[in-house]
Amino acid sequence: MAGVTLRGVRKSFGRIEVIHGVDLEVADGEFVAFVGPSGCGKSTLLRLIAGLEEPSAGDLSIGGQRVNDRPPAARGIAMVFQSYALYPHMTAYDNMAFGLTLSRTDKGTIAERVRAAARLLQIEDLLDRKPRDLSGGQRQRVAIGRAIVREPQVFLFDEPLSNLDAGLRVQMRLEIAKLKADLRATMIYVTHDQVEAMTLADRIVVLNAGRVEQAGTPLELYHRPRNRFVAGFIGSPAMNFLDVVSEGRADGSVRVWLPGGVPLDVAVDGAAPPAGTPLTLGVRPEHVGLADGGAGLLATILAVERLGGETHCHAALEDGQRLLVRLDGDRPVAAGERLRLNLRGETAHLFGADGQRL
Amino acid sequence: MGLRRIAFALVVLGIVVWAVFPFAWAIVTSLKAGSALFTVEAWPSQPSLANYAAIFKEQPFGRNILNSLMAASAVVALSLGLAVLAAYALGRVRFRGRGLLLFVVLGVSMFPQVAVLSGLFELVRWLGLYNRIGSLVLSYLIFTLPFTVWVLTTFMRELPKELEEAAMVDGAGPFVIVTRVFLPLMGPALAATGLLAFIAAWNEFLFALTFTLTDDARTVPVAIALMSGASQYELPWGQIMAASVVVTVPLIGLVLLFQRRIVSGLTAGAVKG
Repeated sequence: MAGVTLRGVRKSFGRIEVIHGVDLEVADGEFVAFVGPSGCGKSTLLRLIAGLEEPSAGDLSIGGQRVNDRPPAARGIAMVFQSYALYPHMTAYDNMAFGLTLSRTDKGTIAERVRAAARLLQIEDLLDRKPRDLSGGQRQRVAIGRAIVREPQVFLFDEPLSNLDAGLRVQMRLEIAKLKADLRATMIYVTHDQVEAMTLADRIVVLNAGRVEQAGTPLELYHRPRNRFVAGFIGSPAMNFLDVVSEGRADGSVRVWLPGGVPLDVAVDGAAPPAGTPLTLGVRPEHVGLADGGAGLLATILAVERLGGETHCHAALEDGQRLLVRLDGDRPVAAGERLRLNLRGETAHLFGADGQRL
Repeated sequence: MGLRRIAFALVVLGIVVWAVFPFAWAIVTSLKAGSALFTVEAWPSQPSLANYAAIFKEQPFGRNILNSLMAASAVVALSLGLAVLAAYALGRVRFRGRGLLLFVVLGVSMFPQVAVLSGLFELVRWLGLYNRIGSLVLSYLIFTLPFTVWVLTTFMRELPKELEEAAMVDGAGPFVIVTRVFLPLMGPALAATGLLAFIAAWNEFLFALTFTLTDDARTVPVAIALMSGASQYELPWGQIMAASVVVTVPLIGLVLLFQRRIVSGLTAGAVKG
């Protein structure tokens, strides 16, 4: 097993640069997820590590060895493709054995490894079938099996579950979590599904427009997003953003005025901006509560979505700014009703005009 | 409604008659002997297979068929082999001048055969291939290669890129990718282009007439054209028709044989669901 290191990696297609200098360290045995909106470069970054694309600049090493000039097969990686990319004319067994056959591994070893992988993935009965006779989930297992059989130092997953239907996706997600525990290999996983990233990854790398916005554990990203992009990307439903004005420092925190003249003290790390600076307040829907008494932020409910276990209220503040409130359970609230909302400074975030967290 | 269906049936009938009549007439004629040739009838009153026997006894027609078979098979094998390799390069590898090269390949097939005939004749003589089947294989590649390359290039481009990438990750080089991953998927395209190349080579006349001299190397179309009767004033129509039928039947058989393979979609299950 081995870690992966990227140093100043850039990639251009023609004149267009899509990866703008990425530095990243993936530790041995770590499960790292790349997330970001489509076109952010997460798949390109994975393909650079796989050796399917050549970096325009920078160094790439796997297990301490610089691998820039090595072909994919010599990098000690295995990749699972979004479209599975199984060889249609070969049986599941031959699909999994193909790489080993090419490297002239003896037949006994091949059979042993393929059977072991098939047992792990519970596809022992399907080994004689061709891909066209397999369901989507079974194909995905064969594709993962093909990767396991190569015994790579690093597993690369390119949105492996995005072609499966919702139920199967949850099931396969659990199986990948189990694989991660069983194989203890370094894994890099590209996804646009933040639930997959949050549940599977030891560390998440949020990418946007070819840059790393933040890398950290799932809860670090949730609780301490470095900037407005990460704050809005991680968490579902997405964080609310309100335009507020700073009133200056108040013992370790910044006091801001909310619409309707309600003050809120938000803890910040850096220096407080001078009074009168326009800021953005970020607060997650699940961190907005109903105020008990007469105090609190006055809001009018525009629409209510009842999910049974939780209730989403789309509300408008007095100055017209929108706010989504997520309440536990089934609450007796109705559209048109006026509520008093309660925001807490500990769970709120302040972002400057440049989008960086204060 | 009824009228439209009748009109449609009549059109279909017209097309069938137009397409099938010459061949049917050839079959009928081939079964006649002597002066019966000159009577018009839908089916000979005294059908005989004498003409069929004669082409193999009085003419070296068996040898001619063998020559045609060897030439056409060699042409199919060579053009498919070369075209698959070329198609990988032209369809899968990015390089400068790829479009121009494809256009040149197509351009070659635009020359009329007569235009290249004299030059080719010199080439054939220089290579020592005159009156040998090799001369035909060489010259037929001129018109089979452009379309096999084009069709296979188009087909190769359609194959999913991830398959190639998965093979690369598995440690396959270009040759292994072509032979063990792509080739098995190209069955329908190979069958279709191979069949067309075979038919083109089987029916070719001008090169065969020019580059062969004796029956040792002569192919079927030329042999049929040069068939002679007992005297120079007699054209053995019955035998000519029998020979035509004999060489057409294998082609029809081949088409029927490969028909299913041409239609089937072998890439099903390669990607997605």
